[in-house]
Formats: sequence, C-alpha cells, structure tokens
Amino acid sequence: MIITGKHVPRRMFLRGVGSAIALPLLDSMTPAFAAKTSAKPPTRVAFAYVPNGIIMNHWRPATTGADFELPRILEPLKPHKEQMVLLSGLTQNGGRALGDGPGDHARAAASFLTGVHPRKTAGSDMRCGVSVDQVAAKALGSQTRFASLELGCEDGRLVGNCDSGYSCAYSNSISWRGEATPMPPEVNPRIVFERLFGSVDGAESPAARNRRQQYRKSILDFVNEDTKQLQASLGPTDRRKLDEYLFGIREIEKRIEAAEATARVAPPEMEVPDGVPVDFAEHVKLMFDLMLAAFQTDSTRIATFMIGREGSNRTYREIGVPDPHHGISHHKGDPVLIKKVAQINRYHVEQFSYFVGKLASTPDGDGTLLDHSIIVYGSGISDGNRHLHHDLPVAVFGKGSGAWKPGRHIAYPRDTPMANLYLTMLDRIGVPAESIGDSTGKLEHLTDLS
Amino acid sequence: MHIQWLVRTLTVPVLGYVLVAAVQAPKRPVKGTATPSFQRTVQPFLANNCFACHNTKLKSGDVDLKSSAAQAEPLEDRQLWDLVIRKIRTGEMPPKGLPRPKMDDIERVTAWIEGEFDRRDRKTKPDPGRVTARRLNRYEYNATVRDLVGIDLHPADTFPADDAGYGFDNIADVLSLSPVLMEKYMTAAENIARAAIVAGPVQYKPTRIQLKAESVGMGEHLKLKPLKSGFAGPLPAKTALHVRYRTPVEAEYDLRVGLGGIRPVSQITGEPPEPVKMRLWIDGQPENTWEVDPGTGKPRNFETRLKLTGGEHSISAAFVDDNFDPKENPIGRRDRYLTIDLFEIHGPYNPVTPPLPPTQYRILSCNHPLNQHEPACARKIVTDLARRGFRRTPTEAEISRLTHLVEMAQTEGDTFEEGVRVALAAVLVSPHFLFRIERDPDPLNPKAEHPVSDLELASRLSYFLWSSMPDDELLAKAEAGLLRKPAVLAAEVHRMLADPKVRALSENFAGQWLQLRNLDEVKPDPDRFPDFDEELRQAMKVETELFIQAIVRDDRSILDFLDGNFTYLNERLATHYGVPGVEGPEFRKVMLTGDHRGGVLTQASVLTVSSYPTRTSPVIRGKWILENILNAPPPPPPPNVPAIDEAAVGSTGSLRQQMEKHRSNAICASCHARMDPLGFGLENYDGIGAWRTMDGQFPVDASGSLPNRKSFSNPSQLKLILKADTDQFARCVVEKMLTYALGRGLEPFDKPAVQSISRTLANNGYRFSTLISSIVNSTPFQMRRGEAPK
Repeated sequence: MIITGKHVPRRMFLRGVGSAIALPLLDSMTPAFAAKTSAKPPTRVAFAYVPNGIIMNHWRPATTGADFELPRILEPLKPHKEQMVLLSGLTQNGGRALGDGPGDHARAAASFLTGVHPRKTAGSDMRCGVSVDQVAAKALGSQTRFASLELGCEDGRLVGNCDSGYSCAYSNSISWRGEATPMPPEVNPRIVFERLFGSVDGAESPAARNRRQQYRKSILDFVNEDTKQLQASLGPTDRRKLDEYLFGIREIEKRIEAAEATARVAPPEMEVPDGVPVDFAEHVKLMFDLMLAAFQTDSTRIATFMIGREGSNRTYREIGVPDPHHGISHHKGDPVLIKKVAQINRYHVEQFSYFVGKLASTPDGDGTLLDHSIIVYGSGISDGNRHLHHDLPVAVFGKGSGAWKPGRHIAYPRDTPMANLYLTMLDRIGVPAESIGDSTGKLEHLTDLS
Repeated sequence: MHIQWLVRTLTVPVLGYVLVAAVQAPKRPVKGTATPSFQRTVQPFLANNCFACHNTKLKSGDVDLKSSAAQAEPLEDRQLWDLVIRKIRTGEMPPKGLPRPKMDDIERVTAWIEGEFDRRDRKTKPDPGRVTARRLNRYEYNATVRDLVGIDLHPADTFPADDAGYGFDNIADVLSLSPVLMEKYMTAAENIARAAIVAGPVQYKPTRIQLKAESVGMGEHLKLKPLKSGFAGPLPAKTALHVRYRTPVEAEYDLRVGLGGIRPVSQITGEPPEPVKMRLWIDGQPENTWEVDPGTGKPRNFETRLKLTGGEHSISAAFVDDNFDPKENPIGRRDRYLTIDLFEIHGPYNPVTPPLPPTQYRILSCNHPLNQHEPACARKIVTDLARRGFRRTPTEAEISRLTHLVEMAQTEGDTFEEGVRVALAAVLVSPHFLFRIERDPDPLNPKAEHPVSDLELASRLSYFLWSSMPDDELLAKAEAGLLRKPAVLAAEVHRMLADPKVRALSENFAGQWLQLRNLDEVKPDPDRFPDFDEELRQAMKVETELFIQAIVRDDRSILDFLDGNFTYLNERLATHYGVPGVEGPEFRKVMLTGDHRGGVLTQASVLTVSSYPTRTSPVIRGKWILENILNAPPPPPPPNVPAIDEAAVGSTGSLRQQMEKHRSNAICASCHARMDPLGFGLENYDGIGAWRTMDGQFPVDASGSLPNRKSFSNPSQLKLILKADTDQFARCVVEKMLTYALGRGLEPFDKPAVQSISRTLANNGYRFSTLISSIVNSTPFQMRRGEAPK
C-alpha cells in the first residue's frame, strides 16, 4: 500500500472540522501473511440499520417466492436480487410501548438486535439485552483479532432528551454486549482504520513492538490486581461498572496474545481514510469499505453499522430533501412527504447496494465474500409515521456458506418474532443458543435449500 | 408503584420531576396529623374544582383526587400533590372552559400543601442518595490529563461519544465502558506517557500532512474572496484560509500549496491582467507571495521550506490583489479568483534536538539529568503520580508495584525514563484514575448515610467546578482533613470559582443545559438562510459562552440568564442582530438598548438550536422553554399526529395560522396550549435568530396568552412574564445544576435539598456564587449512603 503519489480526491480537502492528520511518506507495513489459508472460509455476519422506518408500500413486494418484483426503494439492489432473502411479517415486540408510552425510536434501536424491551430510564438502571451480534462475538470472537466491529455515521453527541425519557444510549447503539453495556458505534473512518490496521505514523521496529506489548501486559497485570481488590469492597452497581472495565482489559490481553501468535495484519488496498467526510454517501461508503476490509483480512467476522442513529434528523439536500428525516417520517399521509421519505430510504439502500456489490466481487476461498456472509439490512420501525414495530423491513443477503438459498421473498405470519431470524442465523454459523430475546424458535422456510 | 407512576406521567402532562428515576424513595410513613386542617383548607377547594373529573369513576388523566383526599393520610403521594400544585398554579387545571378558582384561593391551597411538606421535610432524616462509580467523560479525561501531566493533548477527542442522561453527559449510570473505549484508554495512556517524558533520542520520520481549513470552505476548490485593497492588520476570518498545525519538533518543513484561479482576458484591452497572487502568513507574519498565471485554469504546485519551532503554528493564506473591473463585460470577465486545491506540509527535516519538555521536570521530580537517576527516585516519582492521578494518598502496595514497573523496564535494558513512562501509563489506565469511586463503609445498607471522605469531597468539588482533578492546594487541604471546616470550604469554592478552569462549568453545564452543543450539528437550509455560515455559527457559540462566563466571573444574578442587558458581539454577529457600531472580528461586551435582545432566549445560538433547518418552530422553542427555563417538560406527542403543512407555511397562511389549525385537534391542544404560546412569543426571531417583522408574506404576530391567562404581545413581554415567576426559573436552574453537580438524576428524596438551595438562593439575590456554594453545602453533595437492594 503506497499512499503518496496517489491522487488525493480534491473534495476531501480543506473541509470539515478536526485537526490535521498525518500520513507517512513511506509505507512500512509488513505484507500480509496473516491471510490464513484455511480449508473453509469462515462465515461473516453483519447488520446494517436504518432509522425512522421505511415507506413500506415501496419496500414490500406484492408477491412471495422466487419471482417477485423489486419495489422502488429496493430497486438499487436489483443486481443482487439473487443473493437476497426478503423477509416480511417479522416483529420486534420489544419495540412496542407495552405500557411504557412514547419512546418508540429509542426502543426500536435498542430492541432491534436484542429482542428485548428496554427499560424506560434516562439513566439509572439502564437495562436492555445482549444483542445477536454480541452473542455471536462471545462465541466466535476469540478466533479473530477483534471480536466485533461497531460502526455508525452519526455521533451520539447531541444533548437534551433523546427520546421521551429514554437514555440516549438506547437510540445510539444497536449492539449491546451486556444488559447495561451498549457498544457505541465509531463514526470516524480514520479511527476505525487505525484500530484495525494500526496507526500509520511512526514505523516501529518488531523488537520495539514486542517490548511495548510486554510492557502492556505488565501494566494490565498491575491494574487487574488493583481492580480485583477494589471490587471486593463495592456494592453491586459499582461492581458492574468495573466488570465492564475488566472485560475491556481482557480483550486487550487477548489481542496481545493473538499478536504474539501472528504477524501484523496489513490492510488491504485501501486509501487511508481522512477523518469524517462531509459528504454522507462518501462517509457511508468508507464505513462499508472498512467493514469489507475487516472481513477480508479476517480481523473480525461480526459487524454492525448504524447508517443513522434512531430518530435521526439528518437532512439530505444532495437528493433534494432538505427536511429533517425524523420530522418528515411523520408524514401523516402527505404524498409529498411520503415521496421524500421514500427517496431517503432508497438513497440508503443505494449505499448498501454498493457494499453488497463489493462483497460479491471479492474472492474468498472457493467463492466470494458474499457467499460466506450473512448481511442483514433493516429498521426497527416499519411505518415511521405511526411507529409500528411489526412487519419490519428486513432483507438478508449472502448465502451464509450454504446456510440457505437466497433469491426469495418469504412472508411470515404477523408478529413472528424477529429474534427467530437471529436464532436461525446463530444456528447456521454454529453458535448454539437456546433462545435470544423473545424468540420462540427458528424461522421456517428460511433454511430451505431448494 | 413504579408502573403506576409511569402510567401517570404518560397520560397527563406532568411537570417537574418527570425525569426522576424509577427508584421510588423508601416510604416514610407520616402520621395523619394533617387531616383536620386538610379538611378545612384543601378539601373544599378540591371538591369545587377537581372532583368532577378526578374521581374514582372518571379518573381523568389517571388521577383520582377524590380517593386520595379521602385517605387517612391524604398527602401520602407526594408526586401527586406536586403535580396538583403545578397544574393549578400554571392555570392548566381546571381546563379551559371550566370556571377558574380565585387567585387567592389557589395561593392559599397551594401554600398550605407546600408548607405541610416543608414541615415534614424538616422532621425527616434527609436521604443523600448515592452516586455510582463514575467514569471520567471525554471532557473530564482531557482536562484531568492536562492537569496531571501538564500538556493539553486532548487524547479523548477520538474516544466514543459519551451517552447522556437527564440532559447531561456526566451521569454515572449512563457512562458505560465498551471494549473499544478500553483500547483507547490503553493507547492514550502510552501516547501521553511518550509525550510527557523524553526517554532518549527520538527518531522523527517525515510525514505528509494535509492541512485543513478552520474557517472556510467546502467544494471542489477552495475559492478565496479577495482582501480589500490596502488591507492591513489581522487577517479576516472569512476571506482568508486559516489552518493550525502542531509540529512535533523544531525542524524544517516543506509547505506545498496547489494554486489555481480564474483570470479572464480583458474585453477592453485584450490583455490578461496581472497574475493572481497569494500571500502566506506564518504565525501572523507575512512570508511568501506567489503569483499564479492560471492560464488554462490548471492548478500549479508551489513549495517553500519553512523553519518552524516545535508546537502549534498558524498558517494563513489570502488572495491579495483583487482587481474587480466593473467596466468589463460580460460579468464573468470582471473579476478574478484564486483557488487553493492543495495545502500540505512535509516534514520534519533536519530536526533540532529539543530540550526536555517542562513536563519531564514536573514528573521526574528528582530533577536528575537523563541517565543519571537514583533508584530511590523512582519511589518518589510514582508516589507523586499515583497521589495526583488517583486523587488520594496511594497505598504502600500500589507504590511498590508501580516502582516495580520502573525497575522492570530497566531490567529489560530500557532507560529509567522509559520505566517511568510505563508507570505513568499504568496510573492512567487504572480504575482509580478512570473512575471516581466513592467508598461506603456499608455498601449494601441504604440506611447507612455518611459524609463522603474529605478526598472524595475534593474530587466532587473539582469535577463539579473544573471538570478536572483537584489541584495541589485542594488535595493538600483534603489530606490535612481541613475541607470540612466551613470557612476553609467556602474559601476553596471561592478560589476555584476565580480560577480560569471554571470555564468548564460554562462549557459543560451551560453548554448542555441550553443545548448549545447541538449548535455544532444544526444545518440551516442554505436556500432559506443564505446568511448562515461557519463564521456565524462560531460567533453564535462564542456569544453565549462569553455571556455565561460573565455571569460566573462577575457573580451576577442567575436572572440575568433571562434578561441580562448586555452581551458579547463581534462584527459578524452584530450585523446579524442589526446592532450598529461593532467592527472587527473580536468579541467585546456590548450594553443592549431597545427590547430586541437580552438574555439567552434572544441569543442566536438558542434560537437556532430550537429551530428546524428550514423554518422556526414555535413548538420546539416552546418545548425548549418548558424544559430548560421552567423545568416542566411536556410529555412527548402521541404517534400519528397530524403534521404541519410545510408547503403552505408562508404562502397560503402564516405559520401561526397553520399551527392554530393543528391545535384545533383536542388531543394536541392540551399540551400545545402551554407550549406554543411560549414559542410564538419568539416568532420575531427567524430560524437563525435574526430579527424579523414578516414571516414570508405575513406580518409576524408574536403575541400569545398562557394557560394562566397572562398575555404578551412581543418577546420582551414574554420574558417579563417568565422572569416574574422567579421561583420557578430559579428552581429549574437549581435542579439542572444539582443534577450536573451530582452526576445522577434527581430523586423524589432530593426535593428538600432543592427547596433549601432555592431558598438560600432567593435570600441572596440569586447570585451565581450562592447557587454554587449552597449546592456544595447540600446533603446530597456532602453525603452518600449504601445501595438499596433492587
């Protein structure tokens, strides 16, 4: 990977916020011999989330089975229709009020991958559930350098009430490692890159690197001992906070051990990202590129991506929608607003389609990355105007290493738990789970191979 | 109880403690002494005005006052009565259409209920509540590192955003620690140690840095506007390109700039004019001037080698020789442009060996030269690091294990300094550094109330006022056990409020209370608001920051938040406001005349964050006032509410007419009757806070009347009404500030503390310092208790 001499896109320049960023003049990374040549490529799992629901009339095809027409919003995915399973009728009951009143956006995000009805609180005793990606990460994470990757496009930096008395953590994260531990998404592509492939400034000699790793271990030993002593004297809530801390420490230890076993992973052909692009589409594309790179290098097998924070009020002037997304999702049947929301929905799908295309064109073992992936795209709200949590927009891409035969639209009876999809997925990727969230069993027909 | 309470908050517009957490205060049974007096004073009022709907059968809004009043202990449910008081006082109840009770009666009944609760509070043992172990948030991490090692590195800027609860991002329960963040703590600790301590000769590797403009531009090329001819003095923010760059070391650097432009051939003379010129300034000093003949318009690269000292530098560039010629035709030929397509630095080359950083001497407190350490020194150094880093006296075991880390690095063949780096990194990732952990002698007993230790109190103080660690003086006072002496504590608070670090209070507290942080995210529609740009956004922010800092610094009345007759403006913002006589980019204090501006409600920052990108929103502004000025947030709207016909606004009817149509819906009306008038009162300010008298083609009507029948016809009258209810505004500020100070949501049992702080505040002219000192002296700030089983 040589960075200099490459055309630097002019548009990336002199714009935006943030400080200057350093790129090395010379690349010093060791070539990849980390690409393991195992007989069978692993299965990757990713979830892409879009906020504020979807105009379902333009999403849900009229017919089921293999022979279905793609409605307007899904049209950009036409090239990948044969790689798609469209699932209708799935419900996230945890997103519903169930007596808790308003707050559908917070609940939509929090329940989407957990199948759990989050506890209504602005702070104390936050409680959700463990999300499907984290269930998988706990089981499979030890095989890769990173157990999982959480990406986003909007920083959860806003202040004020996020949604009707729900802590902002609920609408900012779909991934939950523990009941009270959200995994906040990283929005800066540069930081994701450095996390995956190391800082690009400063060439560290292997000897220096080894010594640094060793010092790290000593430091971690020091704090481990400290924390254990401390924990013994604390109440349960404080102890839980330190559990989060200890888990983080163990993850670092794990990575040090993994690093001792393998050489440094070189990043694939990819320009080093330069902070957060101003242009939304460019930002999304970069995040997808990073996800692809992470999968390609087998740095992780599990990823989540919040294309927008739930309740997002992003404006999309570039496609002629200067109105805030959440605002107009409450369209009250106004055809002009419906059209605008559908435009946003389609715009998101266009970005996603780029990613599916990339997966489909990246060789992996005996096939492509897409062959060995299960990528879920969807939202925790179907009709954003009425905040409905049933008949959610859900599409699954990839063959999942032979998990099922794509190219179909399956309609399930109303109120089939979305968590049943997750249970099925976990089963297919070899993670045994009795249940997840409110699952009642595996999804029928999905795993039909004919 | 919990469920019932929630249900109630959802079905009626509850005021006040809606945000209060789910944990109910332990019930403290009170004897029914109130009953005879209650029967005389309150019962007849309720019977006349409330029971018609709030009875067992109808139970309107899920409130059954008749049953509650009939109980042996009618005031049992405090939440309920707080609600009743607020509803009656604000005039929301009895609802529109029903006869209104006399003002005197309302005053008498509400005063009686409040007096009764006050009397009980005095008899009840106060419950200080408890705060969970609190992780430093990003701001606190940066500030603490700055104060611990002595360099302002801002390592936390790349940490994941901190989630907020109760409107603030320092709430212990919400601040979680993900594995990603732990990784970043680890890397940050190593980087901080490396930056703070030199451990041998450093190799600098030349890198290429793309510089980014701070103030201007986006787009294919950065197109600079020309400077005025005869320009002198500081470069204007708007017409020049400004970048900042921190060099790692004193050395030579190559600055490479890609320049292009437009230089039309003159229609009159047939000659191309002079080449386009760009001048470069380094740290404010003019450096090179480059001439570009754009020719075909293709940019050319220019390069110059600069000698720069280590540290922050400002680099500016401007287009210096405009020659607009109005005689030329067509219009496109009249003007020239300079474009900048590339702006990057390469280096360092030939670095000068830097002297040891000052932090080196601060941390390596034995002052020995490189490689001439004494072993005993390690102990002294790590003891000092741990004491300040852990904000307490370190234990013998901690000291010896940290000393061991220093020795370990030396055993590995590294320098003593490298060993200190390892020990510093260990301090920085320790839970004692990353968390503020307060100890309970009896952690599982909610009745075990106790004062926090002096050292814990010192940290509470410093993180409240400075968002950072205690300084040496405060730490020493706490270690000596002096902090609980009232005179010492008062003197420390006074000293801390005078320290520049108190700026954190305006940035973090006010920035979140007034939701100013959202200003970074708003994107006013450029078609509707062509005046809005980055410079204006910054100016809005600076105005409110300086305004709040003035209230803190000058110890002004908190009522100035509502209608202080001064503000801080620069030319850009003054022009936006239509205030004459303010020239230049610097901000200065301006006394306000007339009734257009005064107080935060009329500042463009607040007016912009409470608007839509395309227009004002009286609803959002009304909600903003209810939440942040009155602390009486409305309940969220039910789903499926009819929206405003956006297209019709300004063309077929004014926004007000559209909204009134919307409000004719009965469900909406109950809340909007309270919310919208407040917002309409600010309709004279457009979506970015400029004064206006027309909304599209309709004259602005900023009049309104509130449920309590008070009415106004312009923003300044609205402010007067808000200010007249001093108690409510003061209580709002107290509740917000206490939440921020404690790092937890307020609970019902905090009510006596809020009352007492509010009272002290009122008795001392609402001075800002009184607010701070009475919070510092309050029970929840001074004490804590064990945890109630869940």
